[in-house]
Amino acid sequence: MIRPFLAVVKKELGSVIRDRTIVISILIQLFIASFSSGLLLGVLSLYDADTILQFSGEGIKIGIVGGAEHPLAGFMSERGLNVLPYATLAQAQAAFQAGDVLAIVDAPQDADNLTEIKLYLPESDTVSSLVRMVIQEPLKQYENALRAQKGAEVRYTRLKGKPSTSFEFVYSVLLPMLMFFPAFVAGSMSVDSLTEEVENNTLQTLLSAPLTINGMITAKIAAAVILSIVQCTAWLALLELNGIDIQHEGWILLLALIVAGLSSSSAILGAVLLKDRERSQFIYSLMLLAATALSTLANISPLTTLSRLAVGDTYTNGWAVIPFAAILGGLYWLLTKVSRRLMV
Amino acid sequence: MNQIFVIAWREVTRLRKRFGGGASPLAVLLLLAMLGLSAFSLRNSVALGNGLYRVGVSGDVPVIQDSRFAVVEVDAQQGQALLDSHAIDVWIDGARVIERADDKSQFAVRALKQYLEKQELVRVGNSFTGEQAFPLRVGINYLNGDQAAGQTVTKPEEVIIPSLTPPPAPFTQVLVALIYILPITFISIFFTSSFMDEKSNRRLTILLSAPITPFQIILGKMLPYAIFALFTTVLIAMITGGNVPLALAIFAPTTLFIFAIYLMVPLFYRTFKDTTFISMLVTTLTTAYLVFPAMFTNVNDLAYISPLTLAVKMYRAEPFGWREYLFPSLPMAAVFGFAMFAGTRMLNEEFLMGYKPITRKITDAIYLMMAHTRPSLAVTLWSLLVIPAVYMAQVMMLAFAANLPVRLILGATLVTSALIEEVVKTIGIVVLAEHRAVSSVRDILWLSFLSALGFLIGEKLLLLVSISMVSQARVSGALFGAGMLLLIPLAAHFVFTAAVTLLRVKLRFPYWLALGLGTLAHFFYNLTVMRGGL
Repeated sequence: MIRPFLAVVKKELGSVIRDRTIVISILIQLFIASFSSGLLLGVLSLYDADTILQFSGEGIKIGIVGGAEHPLAGFMSERGLNVLPYATLAQAQAAFQAGDVLAIVDAPQDADNLTEIKLYLPESDTVSSLVRMVIQEPLKQYENALRAQKGAEVRYTRLKGKPSTSFEFVYSVLLPMLMFFPAFVAGSMSVDSLTEEVENNTLQTLLSAPLTINGMITAKIAAAVILSIVQCTAWLALLELNGIDIQHEGWILLLALIVAGLSSSSAILGAVLLKDRERSQFIYSLMLLAATALSTLANISPLTTLSRLAVGDTYTNGWAVIPFAAILGGLYWLLTKVSRRLMV
Repeated sequence: MNQIFVIAWREVTRLRKRFGGGASPLAVLLLLAMLGLSAFSLRNSVALGNGLYRVGVSGDVPVIQDSRFAVVEVDAQQGQALLDSHAIDVWIDGARVIERADDKSQFAVRALKQYLEKQELVRVGNSFTGEQAFPLRVGINYLNGDQAAGQTVTKPEEVIIPSLTPPPAPFTQVLVALIYILPITFISIFFTSSFMDEKSNRRLTILLSAPITPFQIILGKMLPYAIFALFTTVLIAMITGGNVPLALAIFAPTTLFIFAIYLMVPLFYRTFKDTTFISMLVTTLTTAYLVFPAMFTNVNDLAYISPLTLAVKMYRAEPFGWREYLFPSLPMAAVFGFAMFAGTRMLNEEFLMGYKPITRKITDAIYLMMAHTRPSLAVTLWSLLVIPAVYMAQVMMLAFAANLPVRLILGATLVTSALIEEVVKTIGIVVLAEHRAVSSVRDILWLSFLSALGFLIGEKLLLLVSISMVSQARVSGALFGAGMLLLIPLAAHFVFTAAVTLLRVKLRFPYWLALGLGTLAHFFYNLTVMRGGL
């Protein structure tokens, strides 16, 4: 029993390696990973005021009309901008023409009702949106100060923290993507592998070997799962090498394994019922979409579990993997019940 | 025209049969329900960092409803202990926020800051008068830096309230715009699948023997899917509150572009597994091509190479002109036209059924495209017409290279773009030589010249179009004003092309080696030009 089972697993793995399809799959993952982190890098350096200020805060010179002791001037220099005071707007504009300042803030002393200040920006889209990004925070602080003067107290204004985008990206996007994408590929591969046997009429031959139909299906699932777990292990090792701290690696790999099992079992289930590739792939994609949507709605998403395991959340441990294992068990049981329909 | 409709109708019938009588509308409904559901759940969990932070709260604290935070009610006494034991990342006690010094706690504080700022704004807005809650107005004016005398304010003043100004990063809009792309990709996978199916059961061969042209077959088969894709675009525009005609105008070229790419997949590949993986690769690449530039809406004019940027603009209610519309749309339409042409040439029994390595298939395809016209014309047109594809490939490379260490980015981009250009310019000539359509050194030199010329014209045309569309005309004047300047790149293009083709055809170098040498030469030329050497 076990020998033919292993033979089928070996055959499946062999065909994947020979076809070099797995190379494309790894290429895709590599591309997505590096592309999305490239995107993040670009976005961070262009949209994140902290990053911009960290690298070029001194270089962003802003002229202010209304005195160096104006509260807004204080907020701006506190933020790391280079603030140059001017006595009149005309002088400031002359400095702007000469290229001494990038932008001008014309801030009159506080009025009674509405405080109106004017901001003069250069025409260039790139520079003006840069200035608007870095000046946003001081303007908000000034606004809060004005609110306080008028008796509208705002809480939580002094929070600082550190820019969290990279951290959130790594643990909630990059890691789940690398752990679950091989699983989706595994499902797709299972569909192709089974329907190809059906459409080429090789299934009967395969079953003449001393192997039950459930054994054959399980072998196909096992091959897909093995393949995805190898990829996951490699990605985890690579991430660790890059200095990304990941907790609970064992549980994470188990979760990835379960998700790969879930996706390939459900893919095989669809293929058993429909028997042709076109419809099976369609149903499989629908099931993936549905499962993603439902698990997000029901708040038991493996994505969240994975992220929490990886950051070492105190309330999340190996037990969090159990529900998914249970679902996998149920799905596999269902599969063994309907697998006979392949023979008809 | 009639034949196209006949084929289209046949395709619809085929699909109906395939998805069995009653199942078809059900499947469509199911699909739409799924899309709706996933769009809905996406909207709630769109934030990065889903469920990453634990927040302890005690006392009077605003309700925290954000997918990033899991909220734990704590006792005022326990708070500090829980925080110290890393059970919670940050503790909010009434108006106080208590944090640790380590990174994770600091990240949580930053995430919390963004959230609480919004909540406080709502509270302040509700409980105070307008002037108390929003006491500051900022009038934004744009100054023209050129004129020394007299300030010219170029645009009308824009008045903003700082705390109510949306953040400049267009993440949400890009994600909404991406919702349009998903069904188009999905539908085009069906189109691919149908093609594969008919190819493997040889119905396509029967169709080819009927008195209809390959062009009619492709267009006919594509028509139902394209209509369905446009229909989903209308639907999504209606659901998300977009402008329906505008959304159609934006996404019609994109639809054609995606279909064009998916048309190539079944033409080149034979097994199902190949098709699945290549489709995945194609999906990833197209999505990357569409999303990456759109993230830089309003920061960089080059963002307009993606139509998603237009959609982002649409959702931000910012106007854009004809030129901005044509900038992404024309290359996409051009790629579609090119793919249709290539498809009609490749749609013959021998090509479809041949079981050859993929590189062999590609060269065969290129030969088929060129074989029907005189070599001199074919080579020139080839170099000219593949420019949009080259340009798209280079954009992708740039996105890819952005991950490398800073010192390597420029080098990697230069090398890959040189490689892509050399491949494009030489492949046609090499293929023709392999099929014995050209052989003498003189012919090869002449074709190399034409290829370089075609490429240069295409490249400069694209540059002219993109510059005049997006930036000031001044720059394009500087680029095209000096006639002499054009001769140097022409000569360079010609030398590299001739070298690669001669090495391959006459000296029998392996193509990759000839190409490598050409690329290297091209790279050093580019480097010299950039350093101001020429």
